[in-house]
Amino acid sequence: MTALGFPQLLHLVLPEVIVVVAALCVLAADLVFMRAAETRIRGAVGAVISVAGCAVAIGWMLHAPQYANVLDGMLVLTPLSQLVQIALLVLTILTILISLGSSFTEHMGEYLALILLATASMMFLVGTQNLLMIFLSLELLSLSLYILAAFNKRSAVSAEAGLKYFLFGGMSAAFLLFGFSLLYGWSNSTNLAGIAQSIHGKLLNPALNPVLDPLLVVAILMTVVGLGFKVAAVPFHFWAPDVYQGAPAPSAGFIASGSKVAAFFILYQVMVLGLAGAEGSGAWHAYAPGWVPVLALAAALSMVLGNLVAIRQTSVRRLLAYSAIAHAGYMLLGILSHTQQSLAALLYYAITYALTVLGAFGVVALVEQEAGGDKLSDFAGLSHRAPVLSFCMLIFMLSLAGIPPLAGFFGKFYLFSAVLAATPGSLGLLWLVVLAIAMSAVSLYYYLQVLKRIYVADAPEGAGPISVPFLRQAVLGLIALSVVLLGCAPDLLLRWLQQAIQTAGY
Amino acid sequence: MTWIVRNLWLIPAIPALAAGLSALASRRRRAFAASLAIGSMGISFLLSLCAFAQALRSSGQGEATRQVFNFPWLQYGNEWLKLGWMLDPLTAVMLVMVTFVGLLIFIYSTGYMAHDQNFTRFFCFLSLFAAAMLGVVIANSLLLLFMCWELVGLTSYLLIGFWYQRPSAAAAAKKAFITTRIGDLAFLIGIVWLYSQAGTLLFYDHGAGCMEQTALAAMVAHITSVGMAASTGIALLIFAGAVGKSGQVPLHVWLPDAMEGPTPVSALIHAATMVAAGVFLVARVYPLMAAHGGMHAAIAPTTALQAVTWIGSITAVFAALIAVAQNDIKRILAYSTVSQLGYMMMGLGVGGVAVGMFHLITHAFFKSLLFLGAGSVIHGCHEEQDIRRMGGLRKFMPVTFATYAVGMLALSGFPLFFSGFWSKDAILHAAQDWSISRTPFYLGAFGALLTAFYMTRQVFYVFFGEARLEGNAGHGAAAGHSEHGAARVPHESPAAMTMPLVLLASCAVLLGLIGTPAWPWFNSFLNGQPAALDFAGFLERGTLPVMLSSTIIVFLGLGLGWWFYGRRPIASADAPDALEQLQPGVFRVLQNKFYVDELYGATVIRWNGWLASLSDWMDRWIFNGAVQAVSYLVIGLSWMARSVDVFVVNPGFDGGCKTVTVGGKILARLQNGRTQAYLRMVGLAFAVLIVFLIWSGRR
Repeated sequence: MTALGFPQLLHLVLPEVIVVVAALCVLAADLVFMRAAETRIRGAVGAVISVAGCAVAIGWMLHAPQYANVLDGMLVLTPLSQLVQIALLVLTILTILISLGSSFTEHMGEYLALILLATASMMFLVGTQNLLMIFLSLELLSLSLYILAAFNKRSAVSAEAGLKYFLFGGMSAAFLLFGFSLLYGWSNSTNLAGIAQSIHGKLLNPALNPVLDPLLVVAILMTVVGLGFKVAAVPFHFWAPDVYQGAPAPSAGFIASGSKVAAFFILYQVMVLGLAGAEGSGAWHAYAPGWVPVLALAAALSMVLGNLVAIRQTSVRRLLAYSAIAHAGYMLLGILSHTQQSLAALLYYAITYALTVLGAFGVVALVEQEAGGDKLSDFAGLSHRAPVLSFCMLIFMLSLAGIPPLAGFFGKFYLFSAVLAATPGSLGLLWLVVLAIAMSAVSLYYYLQVLKRIYVADAPEGAGPISVPFLRQAVLGLIALSVVLLGCAPDLLLRWLQQAIQTAGY
Repeated sequence: MTWIVRNLWLIPAIPALAAGLSALASRRRRAFAASLAIGSMGISFLLSLCAFAQALRSSGQGEATRQVFNFPWLQYGNEWLKLGWMLDPLTAVMLVMVTFVGLLIFIYSTGYMAHDQNFTRFFCFLSLFAAAMLGVVIANSLLLLFMCWELVGLTSYLLIGFWYQRPSAAAAAKKAFITTRIGDLAFLIGIVWLYSQAGTLLFYDHGAGCMEQTALAAMVAHITSVGMAASTGIALLIFAGAVGKSGQVPLHVWLPDAMEGPTPVSALIHAATMVAAGVFLVARVYPLMAAHGGMHAAIAPTTALQAVTWIGSITAVFAALIAVAQNDIKRILAYSTVSQLGYMMMGLGVGGVAVGMFHLITHAFFKSLLFLGAGSVIHGCHEEQDIRRMGGLRKFMPVTFATYAVGMLALSGFPLFFSGFWSKDAILHAAQDWSISRTPFYLGAFGALLTAFYMTRQVFYVFFGEARLEGNAGHGAAAGHSEHGAARVPHESPAAMTMPLVLLASCAVLLGLIGTPAWPWFNSFLNGQPAALDFAGFLERGTLPVMLSSTIIVFLGLGLGWWFYGRRPIASADAPDALEQLQPGVFRVLQNKFYVDELYGATVIRWNGWLASLSDWMDRWIFNGAVQAVSYLVIGLSWMARSVDVFVVNPGFDGGCKTVTVGGKILARLQNGRTQAYLRMVGLAFAVLIVFLIWSGRR
């Protein structure tokens, strides 16, 4: 480990610093200068500062990318981590723009500051390969998200969502920390590479098969529980429907999008980099204990439970929550096949999924404001009341269902083909892919239920056209456009991802 | 590579953009939609002129004559699917023709469609069509061509059915779509086969394209199990696509019905451009059509080219015969289009690309002129289309009459001064020299006679004699309409409609000059050779006799037309046709289009009906049963999963949480006891997994 001065360190984490400074500026501007100003103006000024902060951070990363691996893996900056960070910042910007003009709170300054803090913690999370930093940034992220979920102080449901999220999250964090400490005790390292080395060292000795070591098994499973909570995989998903339903819509969108991408990335890093050598196998007829069969089981359960339960939902938010569980199942496939190709497919899937679901929550937020609820019946006849909004929702739903030429289709296509290609010569993971395809066929049903309400059902008596604020409509249109564009020209993102993965050396 | 070649995609992209924008515009933005469409077409026209200039500059430089731009589109496995565009003389000529005729017809449409409430939609479709057609023209990949080809078919469907409130228009749109689909199916099979043989769908790719020597030689050498070279099979399948699109026998039935669309559509799509796409396609894949294994390439034409020739020549006569006995002004022109398309195919078959394409270009101008003239007549006669109820329009519509006469003479092939003469002459000349048989030549000559005859008949009916418009001067047959009497006086059309007519008429005359035997500039341009003015061209073997005989044929046709229809003015709309009096039986057969529609109705459509009802039965009772069973299974499963969620998970969770929120003051005490229900689930899952992993590892 080389000595590293503070100036160098600050230089390396400058994007994170910029985001944190932006958060502080938003808070200061809101609390010091604009206490008497109108809520709308406070929100707008805060949003401008936050978006500017994120944009500057993106610009800095694009303009002067820094690559480093310092402090025993505490800070690992690769082209890939920066790409994911940029994606997270873009998602944050979109979340902020979508939440503009929402009426759930008067304290937009604090709200935005929390979003920025969560973003900064996600950026740290993505840029580290050390258990300690992973845990710390996860905690910062989770705490910010708990508050964001409970931010609507006038709504009991929001408070309930926050509390449930907090309780569940607290326990998961305990599991995770316990798992991490066991890992440290077992391998004497907090660096993912160090842990992998330790596993590798014990693999060489046949008498000491590490996969059979109960201590390691417990450590792996505890880690899976802790991170499985973040990605909302069955059976650690119970919080998701209630939080998605209760939290303010932009918060829910943020939880479902940005934090999902970060969580999947870190799950991949911990599993594939840290636990290399303890994979085992989840292939049909070739079972071997390790973390892969555990994730395979979680993936299969998530796909089945998420999709089947979503069919029975009458609330669009809960529907999106169960669909998120199902999508988590698909994305787990990308982790458990752990190849370069599957990582690219996973990240492409996660990013496009995040965009789509963020857009969907944006639409839900607007409909809620007008119709007063997120029941399927509140969407009836929306196409006559808000044609542009309905068309955006059409694109989002069809993309989630995986209809070509939208991004969702290519995401699924690349992911599934990457999974099949992961075990060359045998079709060991075919059972998972078949299940995934069957389940995505099922999922079409409930996505179309939403669209049926929007396009086929009649609007309720006396429901006039919905006036949608121009900016939010433009942002939603932009998201819809990017979903179409990424579907028609997947190479725009995919090639970038593949290059980053190549250079980062995964 | 010059700027224009790299940016050739702009030519179709700009109308496509205009279509997209006007699709978003509201119905009231009429001026916006029209100016957008016309403006985009104007820009495309200017760009096409640039492209044409570029093609002129690089003409005659061997390989440099053809400039291609290819790019990878998407990857599957280790292979890249490539698309691309190209600029060669063929593309350049088509680009200028499509954009110029398109521009004029767009302008004309602003007058013709002025009273239509769906004006915006009309221009949106027209722009989309122009984009797709230009895409067909510039494509350097059979796949890209096919995609645009299908788009063209779609817009054709949309525009034929533009007045979808009329059942006949809706039916015609469906008929056109389905009939061309039969050809397209064969075309698609041909594409797939070609890809499996050549491994690429790019036409030209610096030696690696499917129209280049290496691939062609491989395809000629590959003999299939039925003893036919792969190249022949593929060429015939692709030709089937062209047969469907260009309305050749036996798939011609949709084109006359397509006249249900607005007249500018008939002029642009069903006369000048789209139907010519089939001819263009054959010209584009001509190297494949003409691919020959042995040394005798120059002596005997290939099977594929023979098929093209025979289908073309049969179509030319067949449709011309039907045109003789039709009474709807647009239907006559439609059958005439079918017949002329037959000529083009024949020209391709017997004389090569230049001969067929020359007729395509000249025909595009004079046929769109005729259609626009017909539109002007229909417009002026208050939507009357039956030529028996017109008459005497010469006096009311002088501009329309003059330009229509030019178009008619050009179509009939009136000697020396009209473009149709030169292009048709080139085809007949080539047919005379064909090594297989003289029959196509005789068929073509007979068709030329019929063409002159039916056009003369039409012009005498429409423009000469007395006005027989319903309700006008008491000649009307249907008394029910006579109360409109005063309003139903024919009138000349507005300038937006007559101006394009005049421009097209001048083109119909002048275009002939670039393809005379003395100065075969067009031929040389397409073949990439320099052209020289040489009057000795007239004296070459067979040139003058063919010119003379076709002149005689034309005058014979015109004379016969005058004898039957011009000698005595046609007095009444209900008087039987002169030919009908002479040969009632033959006339009825012709009037009923040789009963082809009835034949199809009794065979193909009925078989299809049986198959459909069989499928319907299977669907209802067999497949639906299976699907229902599966759906009940899935519903059952989801119900079960929901029950687990509702009765097992939620009571613990919600029960706990509800008490938390409701309980308020006793919250702290109760919270400890209840919220653990779901956390217990997690713990349970954790424990089960631990046991499972360790147990399975020990085994």
